[in-house]
Amino acid sequence: MTPLSTVLGVLLAPLASAALILLFLRRHGGAAAALSTLAAALVAAGALALAYGGVPVVAACEWLRFGSFAISLGLKYDDLASLMLAVVGVVGLCVHVFSLGYMRDDAARARYFGGLSIFMFSMIGLVLADNLFMMFIFWELVGFSSYFLIGHWHQRKSASEAAKKAFIVNRVGDFGFMLGIILCYWTNGTVNLSALADSAASGHLIYSRAIPLLLFCGAVGKSAQLPLQVWLPDAMEGPTPVSALIHAATMVAAGIFMLCRIDPLMVPPALTVISWVGTLTAIYAALCAITQRDIKKVLAYSTLSQLGYMVAAFGLGSTDAAMFHLTTHACFKALLFLGAGAVILGCHHEQDIFRMGGLRARMPVTFWTFTIGVAAIVGLPGLAGFFSKDAILVLAYEHNPAIFAVLALTAVLTSFYMLRLWKLVFLGAPRSESAEHAHEGGFTLTAPLLLLAALAAVGGYTGLYPASLGRVFHDLPEAVGPAHVVILVTSLLVLVIGAGSALAFYAAGAADSLETRFPSVFNFLTTLRNCFDAAYDWYVAKVQQRVAIALNFLDIVGLAGGIVRGLLAGSVEIVGFGVRALHTGRLSSYVYWFLGGVVVLWFLAAGVL
Amino acid sequence: MTPTLDAYVILSAALFAIGFLGVLVRRNTLVIYMCLELMLAAATLALVAFSRFNGTEDGDVFVFFILTVAAAEVAVGLAIIVALFKARQTVQVDQLDSLKH
Amino acid sequence: MEQIAFACLSVFTLACALGMVLSKNAVNGAMGLLLCLAGIAGLFVQLHAYLLAFILVLVYGGAIVMLFLFIIMLLDMQGGQPWKFRKLQLVGTLVSAALLIVGLNLLAVHGQFGSGAPVGKGVGSSLDYYSYQLFTTYLLPTQVLGFLLLIAMLGVIVLSRRHPETPEAR
Repeated sequence: MTPLSTVLGVLLAPLASAALILLFLRRHGGAAAALSTLAAALVAAGALALAYGGVPVVAACEWLRFGSFAISLGLKYDDLASLMLAVVGVVGLCVHVFSLGYMRDDAARARYFGGLSIFMFSMIGLVLADNLFMMFIFWELVGFSSYFLIGHWHQRKSASEAAKKAFIVNRVGDFGFMLGIILCYWTNGTVNLSALADSAASGHLIYSRAIPLLLFCGAVGKSAQLPLQVWLPDAMEGPTPVSALIHAATMVAAGIFMLCRIDPLMVPPALTVISWVGTLTAIYAALCAITQRDIKKVLAYSTLSQLGYMVAAFGLGSTDAAMFHLTTHACFKALLFLGAGAVILGCHHEQDIFRMGGLRARMPVTFWTFTIGVAAIVGLPGLAGFFSKDAILVLAYEHNPAIFAVLALTAVLTSFYMLRLWKLVFLGAPRSESAEHAHEGGFTLTAPLLLLAALAAVGGYTGLYPASLGRVFHDLPEAVGPAHVVILVTSLLVLVIGAGSALAFYAAGAADSLETRFPSVFNFLTTLRNCFDAAYDWYVAKVQQRVAIALNFLDIVGLAGGIVRGLLAGSVEIVGFGVRALHTGRLSSYVYWFLGGVVVLWFLAAGVL
Repeated sequence: MTPTLDAYVILSAALFAIGFLGVLVRRNTLVIYMCLELMLAAATLALVAFSRFNGTEDGDVFVFFILTVAAAEVAVGLAIIVALFKARQTVQVDQLDSLKH
Repeated sequence: MEQIAFACLSVFTLACALGMVLSKNAVNGAMGLLLCLAGIAGLFVQLHAYLLAFILVLVYGGAIVMLFLFIIMLLDMQGGQPWKFRKLQLVGTLVSAALLIVGLNLLAVHGQFGSGAPVGKGVGSSLDYYSYQLFTTYLLPTQVLGFLLLIAMLGVIVLSRRHPETPEAR
């Protein structure tokens, strides 16, 4: 098996699985599940084999040509792609195995696994794309898969609304992305990533501030940064394994991946903007997570916050730190989400954390793996999250003390709400019937948790990674001298303050302690969470709808009527619209018109007119 | 001192305007109809006044016609209103707008 | 003397007309119309059209307003609805009032009747004169009116027929 054929196999196996499922296996849930999991296993095996082989692969073929403009489809498998591919493969396999148990009783199981396979294909295509057009095609495919899977239980109105919201908000970001691609092609004559990197290295690249910022818009949409972060919490309407795969580990990380791919195009002003957007997202999401009751929503806001960290790291100048945090985040966030899925299933589809409790004794495997995940995300020394977060904090300390302060504060809040979650879900006494009767899931539910826990524990030691993966983050920011002590003390302090206050503050009762003891703070945080949605609702209802109606009128009358069918038809149509408005059906308006006519006649008769 | 023709004409015009105002602002179909009758009565007053001040009685004959037409119109109109009420259970004009575009 | 009588009658008529237009209750409105017609009949008397005054009260007041009252009570409306203020109504009212004033002004400026000639008494006995005129000068309108009354009768019969297939009340 040459490396090229392995890469092609990794790309096409999920596509074949999806095609077979959606064509022939619609009613055979078990067979579809098995086929999809097999494809995921092939992907994981292929990705790891390629990673340990360490050979870069490049291939391209032309797809469309319009005169001098051509779109080509190609594969670019280098270190960055190998890292992402390994992450997607391993996490994808864990999620597929978990779904075997989680979705066992679902009626539309085949459709679900078909969607998972389509997602795997789109994500791998995005990772392997060698030019921005192809990346955009797979970008949109990933968005479609997300829509398909969020709306899996489409009988529920909230689920279909959330799917639409995710797709539309992504589209807004993709508009900027498309503009950036077009501008890049126009300025530099190519959108091939290798060509761009080469011309940057040789000094021939034409830089502009607009191109990287427009391309960043795509990342703002896909990775849910401010102000387009509103879709991610609602996307929790989908099944939990979907949230784990798409909205924690892979799809939302695609934005970061894309930023790293277009690193040659970056200019310092754009990087400043990017770093501040990431920082503000991080702290905003952390503030919103404190008041959430739904276990998945807490994790969703946590994802938003960590994505903010990654974007800020990229903006501060280090792709290595961003990718390192992406990798460790994929491991422990997928672990946390799958653990949450196990908890939800064990408590019979209960998602409110104030109705859980006491699960430590009843679901031990889940408890211990979840604890490892929580420890990783808050940065307990030795686990994966500690190293990656430290790298980012070092970076911020060296480049921008303001960002460092905000990120440190965010870290405190992260510890705070994660420990709140952990305590309310697992410790104390059970607070509801379903928590009382919770039980551990089967092998398919616990095995992925164990694997991911192991990865979260050791994922911070870069020496353990195979050569090609390790090369991606060989240049991690390291603290020297007094900075070393400052960072270490900061991270420990952050951990202790956040965790300690959470454990002490939240009593294991049925009501939110923050809500009962500091209602003004609670209300402020809730308003903060809702303000974006309210602003968008107002904008769409008052501004966008009116503009759309006006443009529609212009289109029907002006374009279709006036220009296409001729001026006479258009003017007749306008007159028709006007006259039709006179038919109100109300007697009084007819009488008013009558009065008007009488007045005209009167004036004519009296000689005034 | 008899009242001048102007006075009668102004009075007739005022009654007509009041009737027209009623047609414009009232929402009950029956009251609108009554205001129509008021307008007709105002017209008869003007007719008789004019014919008197011209020294003839021709205007009076015309009042017969107006009266007859008013009677016929009221009969048919009220029959329509009753049939409308049976169909729609309402006589409020702003609820009878099914001819809207 | 006649001025006083005219003034009283005209004030009375206008007041009753306004009462009819502005009253919430439809029955009150019908009563207002009746009194208004009585006022107009009084004005007819002042114009020496005695027969017309009598016929006005008999036909208009006795038949037409009575028919109105019957229908109002048949439809059994529950009082009146509260006055819902709509901006367009105010505009319409102001426009109508302005038009009235403008129109009267036009009449005053362009009109041809000055401070008028005295009221004539009319030529001969009224009823003879009317019937003579109806059957000679105005024969065509009279016949047409007969036709009109026939059609009105037919129309009322058709409209008040009960259709077996339409539901009586929902």
